[in-house]
Amino acid sequence: MKDRVVKYLLILPAGGVVVGTTIWPLASALIASFRDWRLKRSPLPGRFVGLDNYAFAFEEPEFLNALRVTAWFVAIDVVLTVALALGLALLLRRAGFLQSLTKAVLIIPFAMSPALIGVSFRFMFNGEHGVIAKGLGAFVPGLADVIWLAHPVFALLALVFSDVWHWFPYMTLVILGGLAAIPGETEEAARIDGASEGQVLRHVVLPQLSGVLAVVAVLKTIFALKMFDQVVTLTGGGPGISTQTLAHYIFTIGFVHYDMGLASALAWMLTIVLGVVGAFYLRLILPGRRGAHG
Amino acid sequence: MAESGWISGGARRVATAMALLLVFALIVFPVAWLVLTAFKLPRDVYEIKWLFDPTVENFLIIFQPPWSLGRRIVNSAVVAAATVGIAIPVAALAAYSFSRFDFLFKRGLFYAILATQFVPAVVIILPFYLMFRDLGLLDTRSGLVLVNLAIVTPFAVWMLKGFFDAVPVECDEAALIDGASRLAIIRLVVVPMAWPGVIVAAVFCFILAWNEFIFALILTRADAVTLQVGLASFRTERGDVWELMAAAGILITIPAAIAATLIQKHFVSGLTGGAVK
Repeated sequence: MKDRVVKYLLILPAGGVVVGTTIWPLASALIASFRDWRLKRSPLPGRFVGLDNYAFAFEEPEFLNALRVTAWFVAIDVVLTVALALGLALLLRRAGFLQSLTKAVLIIPFAMSPALIGVSFRFMFNGEHGVIAKGLGAFVPGLADVIWLAHPVFALLALVFSDVWHWFPYMTLVILGGLAAIPGETEEAARIDGASEGQVLRHVVLPQLSGVLAVVAVLKTIFALKMFDQVVTLTGGGPGISTQTLAHYIFTIGFVHYDMGLASALAWMLTIVLGVVGAFYLRLILPGRRGAHG
Repeated sequence: MAESGWISGGARRVATAMALLLVFALIVFPVAWLVLTAFKLPRDVYEIKWLFDPTVENFLIIFQPPWSLGRRIVNSAVVAAATVGIAIPVAALAAYSFSRFDFLFKRGLFYAILATQFVPAVVIILPFYLMFRDLGLLDTRSGLVLVNLAIVTPFAVWMLKGFFDAVPVECDEAALIDGASRLAIIRLVVVPMAWPGVIVAAVFCFILAWNEFIFALILTRADAVTLQVGLASFRTERGDVWELMAAAGILITIPAAIAATLIQKHFVSGLTGGAVK
């Protein structure tokens, strides 16, 4: 058979999977988002209501709450993850016993499932017998009486900690890869010119690392915007709805209240936000490529 | 970061060592605590102690009703294996085409496949839930496999294309002269030459499918419940059964940990698509 035909035939199965499992659901959810479709009333889709579901969302205090929670979560989560990963990567550059030891355990959190991490952290942040809660209480006097998961702010912090723990070791590996690509001569030259270690870091290393740091920050933003698993298994969105992220709110509207129209509209809004961040990410990682054959 | 002027080299080395030990403890501690808890008797779980009479009882209890972990292990294993078994061959064909040919809208198509990764799972699950309800596919393993393909396939195409790019085109050309078809070239030349890469992609997809949570949470009730969702069952009316949760957690993590160790060197390129070498 001619390559002219074969090349399209080869993409067909994967294309079919992508269309069937992503494009079709997106289109289907878009149509549903314009309908009044509450499964508790009728299993059949109701009438078209235009943009009512979208407009209604912004009048829902719980939606605005989820927006706020997600914004705070993403901000703290991304800053902490990038800062910790950068700091650790810089410490791990030199060879040494402690360095090898630490590098060896970096993949452990990534292998653990988010669901398990959530349950484990719920155990360790437990107010009565949680080892992290008790440990922190013993070292930091102000925290002794805090019941982490019953407090709106501390529960969100527990959620952030569980996610930072999951991701900062992986991001450290990514940044180490970036550090390894920096030619050693540039640093040597700066040192010979009398630059201090701090100056070398600020004016030589960090500028050359900015591309990798941007990739890490944007990738982490994407994951954080989708935050769901640990919300279910660590806080359940609580206390109240104080740790309810957007993904968890949409889940609640769809599969607790069974309002398919509203849930679809909400899900589409999250998709648009992720699409914008995702487009930004693709531009970062595929710099100036003319074709996809890099 | 300390300026070398005002902290001596020795002090800095001590500070570095302490920071590294702290990070090491930070990473290892939660896992260590989970492992210890898995070997504790109920009476020891509610106290913070490092020394206790260890027991393997928990690992036996979780296989008995009502926990019945065995069935969930089968569900998770079948779903993850089937997902990888379908995604990798399908992705390999597309990855080969993207790697070797030029065609209309190629860039757009490739980007479209990559972009599907940014679609949140919660938007995908709504139409699938409605469709599975009508077709009777709720709470089945095949339904779960179908939805898992959505997250795994784009990754596999992306990773495999990178590995196939590294196989010299001359190998294809030599086989073409010998009269081999493109399918034969993929099967007998490119895939064998890129075999380590294929394994990496497969293992990566396995970890994604094995750890998947939101689809299984919404689409399964009883028969097809996976290990990840099964974790929730250790929260009973009488409170959390932490020691059993910990034992199940350890068992869940072992396959993924082995898989992660196998592909350790390719970890970074896995999620960033080789953008960071």
